[in-house]
Amino acid sequence: MGVFFMHTPFVDSAQKSYWAYAGVLPMPKRLQKQAAPATVVMEIDSIHSFLIRPGKGAESPDDINGATVARSGSLFEMLKPLFDGAERDCPHKIAFNSENGKQENICRDELIAYIKNRDIHHGREIAKRLQSVTTHRSGLGLLFLVAGEEDGETKIVVSRFPADSGVLAEEKGKGLTVEFLERIFMKNAKSYKAAVYAGKSFVNDFWRGQAADKQVNSGESVIADYWIREFLLSDFLTPGEAGTRRFAIAVRETMNRSTEPRVKQDIAAMHNFMVKMPAQTRLSAKGLLDRFQVPAETQEQIKERFPKAKSFDETFTFVPDEFTKFVNMRTIELDNGALLTAPTDRFDQVFAKEPVAGANNDVVRFSTEGSIIDQRFRKVKP
Amino acid sequence: MTSLKETYALRREKVLVPLAARIEDHLKNLFGSLARIDRISARAKSVDRFLGKAAKVEDGKPKYEDPLNQIQDQVGARIVTFYPSDVERVRLEIEKYFKYIESQRIVPESEKEFGYEGRHFILFVPEDLIDDTVNRDESVELFELQIKTLFQHAWSEAEHDLGYKPSVKLTSDQRRRLAFTAAQAWGADQIFDEMFHQMTQPSTR
Repeated sequence: MGVFFMHTPFVDSAQKSYWAYAGVLPMPKRLQKQAAPATVVMEIDSIHSFLIRPGKGAESPDDINGATVARSGSLFEMLKPLFDGAERDCPHKIAFNSENGKQENICRDELIAYIKNRDIHHGREIAKRLQSVTTHRSGLGLLFLVAGEEDGETKIVVSRFPADSGVLAEEKGKGLTVEFLERIFMKNAKSYKAAVYAGKSFVNDFWRGQAADKQVNSGESVIADYWIREFLLSDFLTPGEAGTRRFAIAVRETMNRSTEPRVKQDIAAMHNFMVKMPAQTRLSAKGLLDRFQVPAETQEQIKERFPKAKSFDETFTFVPDEFTKFVNMRTIELDNGALLTAPTDRFDQVFAKEPVAGANNDVVRFSTEGSIIDQRFRKVKP
Repeated sequence: MTSLKETYALRREKVLVPLAARIEDHLKNLFGSLARIDRISARAKSVDRFLGKAAKVEDGKPKYEDPLNQIQDQVGARIVTFYPSDVERVRLEIEKYFKYIESQRIVPESEKEFGYEGRHFILFVPEDLIDDTVNRDESVELFELQIKTLFQHAWSEAEHDLGYKPSVKLTSDQRRRLAFTAAQAWGADQIFDEMFHQMTQPSTR
């Protein structure tokens, strides 16, 4: 018997079961280079699985069937690495949103209720929530709830694998039957969503967690609203203004302190694009700099200005106005003592720059026109 | 076996006091230049106050089963503003820069009562302020931030000093007097806020 997936020309025909194997990606190389985040390795106590059909906006959503997964066998062995490595594989730090300013969040409540009871009934409440936000575009999915406990610490991994389609080929004697299958969850799937939470106190813990979305097109840089905002009722742990401020200060400090003209040129060029970024762009500092193809050497200097190197990879919502606050004036100093200052986004319009004929390439002429409205002294640089 | 007092005292000295200093600096960097901020401060909860809170009983049972993991104001910060409308202005700024699990305006339960007022937040400690050399079990992820006006702050400090003397129970008359001072503080806030807006936005008079 073999299964032929529509998206892949051939999948191991020796695979025994065709119906419900979803898998875990190997750790991305970029993450392998970093110090691995602390992982909480513990025995798995319970696994439940639910088939989630699209139900967003449905007046009478489909019933949800669930199953308890045995703590041994192939499926268990497949899920164990997902559970053990969840902290490493879920790069986005998230936290549940407060509802009406109170320490309440219905999704967190459901998660805690499941942790306390570990049964299909309480797991189904989480499954219903996922179904209620799942559109036909997201399609059919298989939800796994995997939980463990050790030394008073509880850990839960919530993951969703999308369904794929394929062809089942079965040999009977010298004959062959083929059948189209729609509900296949691939062991080597390259697309899944997950979230992990761990803690000891149901009061203070289980507010923050980590999430992954391997289904988005641009790799790990962003995460779907569907998963963290609509299903988990969460947002990034670092708010947009805070993440943007940290990034902007690092960029400004690099611009002001770097002794390398190339780095300063890279940052000046990047700025013009950065302030035009659409609101709600969600990326890490690394992701932002990659998007504008900022060279690695310049990226490294910016990273060094972060309070913690690991914050360089933390996802946040970029807020252009916050960025502009910290890099709104650009100054160029010439070797003749001149200082030219103008708003960063209009600097190139305020000052026309041209090479000086006959001089070496470094010599340039700036010109500008306007009425004098102010003048001031500035103390000498230390 | 290490007592709760010893465990907290050690955590306070090694983790909470330095963390409070970092939080205070961070808050001053973020909000120190805002107009009409009187002061910004942060502190680690004293051992006595922590133990007092840990021993609280509610409905005949200890309020906190695991005080070290459940008490959320082991680090507390405060921003004192001039006028009530400034509290709202600062609140909006806080919500931009911190992820919170609670943001509540604390007011007396009835319109006929006067007492403690203020804006309370429970905020996540920003990742950049966390000492990565400290085991997360030995530290805190959350801290409390209060925003109060000068009058709210002055009243709550005096009331806390008088109302929490362990050996003395306030009489009904004394409680009434405290409520009266709260009403005076509330009235002063309203008048100052009104005057501030009248003087800065004269066209709306």
